[in-house]
Amino acid sequence: MSTETDQEHPCLPGGLIALEQWQAPETSIRKTLRTGVRDILDQLRASIHPEEQAFRSLDDLPLLTPDRLRQYAPPPDAAEVTRAILAQLETREALRGRSVPFLVVPPFSGLARSLAASGRRVITPPDHLLLSEQDARSWWQRQLSGDHWVIPELADFWLRHRSGLSLLKELFALLASDKAGTGLIGCSSWCWQFWANYLPELPVAPVTPAPLDGERLVRWLDHLARSQTGQSLTVRMTHDGLYVLPAPEQAGQIKYSSFAQDLASLARGNPGVALAIWRRALRARPEAESEGDDVKSEGDLEAVTSSGPGCWVAPLDQLSLPAVPQSVGRHSSHVLHALLLHEGLSEEQLALVTGLSHREVDLTLGRCQRAELVTVVDTGTYFHVTPLGYPAVRKYLLSRGYPADGFGE
Amino acid sequence: MDESGLQQALESISSVAVAEAFALVVIASVLIVLIQKLASALAEKLSGKPRLYLLATVPLARLLIIVVTVILIVPILVEPSFENMVAIFGALALAIGFAFKDYINSLIAGLVTLYEMPYRPGDWIEVNGYYGEVRSIGIRAAEIVTLDDTVIVVPHGVLWNTLLANSNDGSHNLMCVAELFLEPNHDVAQMQALLRDVIYTSPLTRTYQPVVVAVTDTEEGMRYRLKGYPLEPRDQTRFISDLTARASEVCHEQGVKLLCRSRRE
Repeated sequence: MSTETDQEHPCLPGGLIALEQWQAPETSIRKTLRTGVRDILDQLRASIHPEEQAFRSLDDLPLLTPDRLRQYAPPPDAAEVTRAILAQLETREALRGRSVPFLVVPPFSGLARSLAASGRRVITPPDHLLLSEQDARSWWQRQLSGDHWVIPELADFWLRHRSGLSLLKELFALLASDKAGTGLIGCSSWCWQFWANYLPELPVAPVTPAPLDGERLVRWLDHLARSQTGQSLTVRMTHDGLYVLPAPEQAGQIKYSSFAQDLASLARGNPGVALAIWRRALRARPEAESEGDDVKSEGDLEAVTSSGPGCWVAPLDQLSLPAVPQSVGRHSSHVLHALLLHEGLSEEQLALVTGLSHREVDLTLGRCQRAELVTVVDTGTYFHVTPLGYPAVRKYLLSRGYPADGFGE
Repeated sequence: MDESGLQQALESISSVAVAEAFALVVIASVLIVLIQKLASALAEKLSGKPRLYLLATVPLARLLIIVVTVILIVPILVEPSFENMVAIFGALALAIGFAFKDYINSLIAGLVTLYEMPYRPGDWIEVNGYYGEVRSIGIRAAEIVTLDDTVIVVPHGVLWNTLLANSNDGSHNLMCVAELFLEPNHDVAQMQALLRDVIYTSPLTRTYQPVVVAVTDTEEGMRYRLKGYPLEPRDQTRFISDLTARASEVCHEQGVKLLCRSRRE
């Protein structure tokens, strides 16, 4: 799946692709069956042990210090990602002619932050999103009057309420009639899925970053660490000493673990989710008994680590990621779905879009926060699903019949 | 009927053999009850396809247990020679055929349901005016639970001569319709668009399934039918209630009056 573009933009491995070309990283039949059976067992077990909800590590190895974590697994550089995206938009022939390219990205991609830092005129949503169609039209006419605008996150411009659709309906009408000027739109995949169903004749052909398969993920994680330390990071598995980093071409003949493929598969190619799990899995030192079990590999490690920093990573099956308690009712699932549809909402907005009372929203949010599925940002105003909880939330919502984004099948 | 053949076959049955056969029947019955209870309990904890698959295995498992039990019992009671088999099954067929005609009719229909699958556990069906979810499929009858939580026992025999409506047919897609009658003389296109938004913005809607707002001019007023799919078939009552409540709000905002049954008549 890798292309030459990977070399050009290590912060955007695989570059941009058409949305229809997106495919989840491949996984083995054995792993799929194992995951399926484990899901069913988890559902059954959750009703027996309801207290086991939040994250817990099943090993006793020390985590990396926050400073080390920032050094070894930092968030992507927004400016660099922006440059890569803009370069892709300009060089790719299929995208060059479009006056308003449309980027659809899965949650936690960090694209909104990158686009906001693009240097273009950022259009932010109005304070009040429940507008009439006339008001929405005139609002857009004011906002789109100049060229080179950017909307970092389209999901911020609507509410799933009969009066909260006007802004996006009017924007899509302007895009259809080519009256929106020159700009760039970023949109969450969940939001996009809703609107693609609501307006099946949408006049846009979105592009999306290529999914991270195991190979791309390794190079991306390597690039992130290198951007901070200036050197390749060496990471080995705590239980068998096999290597995860550095990227294969830099380390010669060393044995690699399948950790990166498994992580890419667990995160479904989503870089934000993969990075969050990666940060949770990094360890300062391995278990004592496994340190000397592979003398040859140990020698290799010394050879590799002599040229750069190193740490260890716990196997994925030793991490217990947040799970959705099976006893939760429709309230929690409505809230979680609404948070994903809108890329975060305030308590008041949640009450509006779910039809729940403020008290019910309050109770539900508290429960989801305790389960580490939801976190609060922006000075306690906006609630978001956590990247670590996202795989479980997505799976849970799908099993309950909710419409999910297209980044999963 | 060869009476002497039957007599011969029955004479060979000892009390020990009867006790063993009875024990086997009891074990099989307990096993069937256990499987039914366990599957129902587990199915309540599952959702989506695993729930449907688990429920669907119950009738098959029961059939398997019954067949195995019969295969085990017959050699215990009688020597399984051709003459004995003809004698015993001939006599049984005659006796049961007269005494339990309807019962046998339902038993055979029960076997047909396993093959043709006109309904499965988890399906929402309507039979003779009764609508509900198929809770279990027994040897003779199926049990459905209505929206008012009433259990209706439907003998499989009704299959032969009754129309049966299956709303979801083994899938999770069950279309619901919320119906409204509105006073005429309003902007129909605008109302259709607003009601379409009502369906899309209900948190219980499967937005990836078709959403339709149909309107017809009737003597009773403008009849709007809001058609959509709930997240899960179990949500249908809540879904229709939610659509009706939201649609009423829209009508109120637009100043279009809803017509209730008494005013329509």
